[in-house]
Amino acid sequence: MIHKPPVQTNFGVKGASSAGKRHVQQLASRLRLRTWGPYLLASLAIFLIWQLAAFALPAFLMPDIPLVFKRLGRELSNPVFVEQIVGSLSRLAVGYGAAILLGTLLGLASGTSGLLRSTLKALVVILQSIPSIAWVPLFLILMGFGNAPIMVVVAIAAFFPTALSVMNATESVQKTHLQAGRVMGANRWQLMRFVYAPAVTPELITGAQVAFGNAWRALISAEMIVGFGAGIGRSLAYSGEIADMPGVLMGILVIAILAAIIDQLILEGAKRKLLRYRYS
Amino acid sequence: MNLSFRHISKSFGQLSVLENLSLEVAAGEFVALVGPSGSGKSTILHLAAGLEPSSSGLIEAGGSKITGASPERTLVFQEHALYPWLTLERNVALAREFQGLKRKEALKEAQHWLSQVQLDGFEHYYPHQVSGGMRQRAALARAFIARPKLLLLDEPFGALDALTRMALQDVLLQLIEAQKLTVMLVTHDVDEALYLTSRILVFSQRPAQCLADIEIGKNHAERDPAVYAEERQEILSLLGIRQTNPLQQNSKEFSYA
Repeated sequence: MIHKPPVQTNFGVKGASSAGKRHVQQLASRLRLRTWGPYLLASLAIFLIWQLAAFALPAFLMPDIPLVFKRLGRELSNPVFVEQIVGSLSRLAVGYGAAILLGTLLGLASGTSGLLRSTLKALVVILQSIPSIAWVPLFLILMGFGNAPIMVVVAIAAFFPTALSVMNATESVQKTHLQAGRVMGANRWQLMRFVYAPAVTPELITGAQVAFGNAWRALISAEMIVGFGAGIGRSLAYSGEIADMPGVLMGILVIAILAAIIDQLILEGAKRKLLRYRYS
Repeated sequence: MNLSFRHISKSFGQLSVLENLSLEVAAGEFVALVGPSGSGKSTILHLAAGLEPSSSGLIEAGGSKITGASPERTLVFQEHALYPWLTLERNVALAREFQGLKRKEALKEAQHWLSQVQLDGFEHYYPHQVSGGMRQRAALARAFIARPKLLLLDEPFGALDALTRMALQDVLLQLIEAQKLTVMLVTHDVDEALYLTSRILVFSQRPAQCLADIEIGKNHAERDPAVYAEERQEILSLLGIRQTNPLQQNSKEFSYA
């Protein structure tokens, strides 16, 4: 009779031991330093140039870093400043949100219809060459002085990269994934919801990150031109008009910091959550 | 569920893959389609699954004309086709969710079918975290959970190593035995066809014509090894292959000299 050793049921699954986990964590922290290191260096270089310029020029032309940061610290407890940030972010949320929603829906729809796809592509080619800021006068006259034209311009800026990336991703969804869905009896809606949507999510997120950069630039420029309501762009333009250099530099600083926070915390966070199957 | 192809032609643009092909599969039969690559065997499965319409001719399953895909006729792909964004459990359950079952109940059924293919404990793994053999086990569970009447297998074990393939062949046989299904298997592996099925259809180069229709019978355990070797040799020679490996010819007088 043959003696059988106890059955091993692990089927060779990758990683699981605690030593392996520790190694992965170490690697992750090293990687984080590798991605953050260059950003730290670049920021230091910018601050260095700024501070050197501040030494060379009189304070009313080029205030130094401590002065601007002190101003920023004071402004943070100023309700007017807080109102400006809230105003800008809410315009961004509406415009950018609408663009992501519309871009995703149109991108998905065009992935399944040839006519819609070629039309949307032509539309992108025609409209993408127009700087989003060039739409401001048109919508200002059409919609009147207010939040609406700014939000529309933000939406236009964010729409194209989103729609384009979702459209390309929809076209390249794996054929067997669709066939498997059909064989399992999925209807059109179920294919959209359970196959197309999750399959295009990685590209959608990349597109949404590009779209955010566009939307943010469009928002600040539109605010500077339209000059309606409380907003970071309008406040920056105003500081420029009254030659308030600490205010100008603080405005630029706030724009950069907010963009970094939104991109790294919110969008990267959404990416890790939505694509957790890739990171597990 | 019986399946009948009557005078089926299928072409993709200029390329004619099937020309006036007729074949009948009786309910409960396990048929293998063997033939050279690109001979249109997979196309036969896709037509039977209802994934593509034929260019001309009539295809019937269970007495009614096939007009589209249906969970009654399910297909297992060579590359598992599990969704990478779902855990094995959710992948298997999805087949039932598409049929209108609530997720909670679908997951309960998925649990049962995953244990049928010996994947207990791996419910919450994603496909990329497990081996190729385990992915194909999950793909089988996903096919069986839908309670198909006709099972179409498109080289399901073609991408696996020999040992894993043998283990999965037995898993498949057990599952089919319990279900009394009609099965159509496309394979390149003549031994696989001889081991699993009760009837083998040998196909020619494109456009596929049936060269031989070999009845093997269901009772594999009682078969004479000599007959087995003979059938194997016959199929291989129909495919234009003359093997000289003595170990694979069941010959009694080979030597290592």
